[in-house]
Amino acid sequence: MLAPILTGAITYLLRNRAAKLFLYIFQVIYAGLAFYVFMTVKETGPIVWNVGGYTDGLALSLYADSISIFMVLMTAVFYIAFLVYVTREKYFRPRFYFLFMVLQGLMMGLFLSSDLFNIFVFLEVSTVVVSILIMINKEKQAIYDGMIYFFVNVIGSAFLLFGIGMLYRTFGLLDIRALKEAMSMLESPRAVVLPYGMMMVTVSLKTAVTPLFSWLPKAHGTPSAPPVVSAVLSGLYIKSGVYMFIRFNEMFNPVIDMHVFFFWIGFLTSLIGFIMALGQKDIKLILAYHTVSQVGLIMMGINMASEIAFWGAVYHIFNHAIFKSTLFLTAGKIYEEYGTRNVYKIRGLFRRMPWVAVATTLAILGITGAPFFNGSISKYMIAHGTYDYTVTLLLNIINLGTTMSFVKYATMLFGKSPKKGTAKSDFYASTACVVMGIASFLTGIFGEGLTQFFFNYEVHVNVDEYIQKGMVYVLMIVAGVAFYNGIIKHGGLITRIGHLELTFNGIITSMVGYFIVLIVYLSLIL
Amino acid sequence: MKPLDFITGEIVGILLFFIGLYGLMTKKTIVKTIMSMSIMESGIFLFYITINYTDGSVPPIGQAQEAAFVDPVPSALMITAIVIGTGVTAIGLTMFMHYKQKHGITHWSRNRNQTGSEH
Repeated sequence: MLAPILTGAITYLLRNRAAKLFLYIFQVIYAGLAFYVFMTVKETGPIVWNVGGYTDGLALSLYADSISIFMVLMTAVFYIAFLVYVTREKYFRPRFYFLFMVLQGLMMGLFLSSDLFNIFVFLEVSTVVVSILIMINKEKQAIYDGMIYFFVNVIGSAFLLFGIGMLYRTFGLLDIRALKEAMSMLESPRAVVLPYGMMMVTVSLKTAVTPLFSWLPKAHGTPSAPPVVSAVLSGLYIKSGVYMFIRFNEMFNPVIDMHVFFFWIGFLTSLIGFIMALGQKDIKLILAYHTVSQVGLIMMGINMASEIAFWGAVYHIFNHAIFKSTLFLTAGKIYEEYGTRNVYKIRGLFRRMPWVAVATTLAILGITGAPFFNGSISKYMIAHGTYDYTVTLLLNIINLGTTMSFVKYATMLFGKSPKKGTAKSDFYASTACVVMGIASFLTGIFGEGLTQFFFNYEVHVNVDEYIQKGMVYVLMIVAGVAFYNGIIKHGGLITRIGHLELTFNGIITSMVGYFIVLIVYLSLIL
Repeated sequence: MKPLDFITGEIVGILLFFIGLYGLMTKKTIVKTIMSMSIMESGIFLFYITINYTDGSVPPIGQAQEAAFVDPVPSALMITAIVIGTGVTAIGLTMFMHYKQKHGITHWSRNRNQTGSEH
């Protein structure tokens, strides 16, 4: 966990070509190490590592079980691709990769730490690092967005700290697993309503669910932030919020059960996410709002109270990390080449930048859930968690929305390019993109095997049903194209919705509102 | 029972937290945002260090005391949290100063496409 931070510091001191080489070698070794720990966890069960030799539950401890070590492995492997991508970029300077590696270490800490206060510390520090990464180019808009991101998240983690304080007052414990045991001995669940509400505000803020997502497009889609930073934020960092949601809910599970509430929140998030995405012109903003929508889908899967949907959602975390990072990385290349981020002005990508276009296509197919791609497997698993007709309908609405907004995105691929000939492409960057794109195909084909391998959870994809889903997908595409040509192209209402945005005070107010709604809802059901 | 007995550290802490929150919700000046944030944080610190405190307890230093020990964990946590809080305030102020000097903006604006049009 500490290793990436140390490496970052060392390379910061080295400052030359050797530093970069050192970074790659380190990252590969680190991923290998993560893989080794992953295998150990898989064979022998969860590992607990206590600091200072105190008894478990009192000491600061690191805890690795199948979900957390999976997240760690995912982060470590993706960082290889990101590092390859940035090799030739201008901003790949010591200051940048120092912070970049520090962020990796902090994410590892978030995934592994079992102590609530440590989680708070990691959150707070990673907020600082992320906001500096966002404004690393020191452009006006980037600094403004970075500041909003910074303040909103600092205030959010203040909620977490307060919640932890209340829990400590009741139980005198800080360890997640020990708290879970203590919860089951609690007489009245009302004692934990307030801390639960406080902590959920923070977690919901980090996962960017419905009323609280306003900071996300600002942070992920800000114009001048390096594309690789957006990719990390959208692909990996947002997942730390989802991960915390899983952890905290597991902790409160003996007394509080909120999955219905969060299922609907997830649905709303998804819906609003893609509607906002449809209204955007900026390709980075489309992708950023789309992250909101996909996170909503993941939340739905987690809160469906069925095992297959839960693992489907976890698998979707992984898949989303693949294709969203690919999309952000390729988007970075695209707007660098075309000099504009307007989706209507970029045309003829296949002629101009063939490799980037291939990667984009693969990722789009993945995200819309085309048959044989990874998105389809995890969406299949989520959809399988229910036999309720309404819920299936809701999922289909979301899929339709996804398809629609990506039909819009895919128009970039075709048409006539304003300039003739293929552009000079950066070998490292396009390799990284294409590899990620192909990964989204491979993880789809071997979906069954991979879920078995990663989570010890067996999935059998029913062929008939899968073919049926494939047909639905084709219909979706047709409907998506039709909708696109019919309504969205002409703008109007949807564009106006897309430009709705909360001010800083609005974000905070909605945060407080969300907190109050949570508390009221909780006191009603308990 | 004294009349002011209800003013305990915890209550004041919670009040401070929400006063800070009110400031964040209503004030548009960035400096005031930073100030409200500090108020909120001090509320949390006060809350922490007074939880599980009973009158007449002593610090857990040395051995063989008759009185009860104070729980040292909250104070230890708060040292860390105060350090982080100070750092965060400093970073916030730095960003703000940089932003103001370069672009002359002191308020949160309504629309991101027109940042700074008021000033």
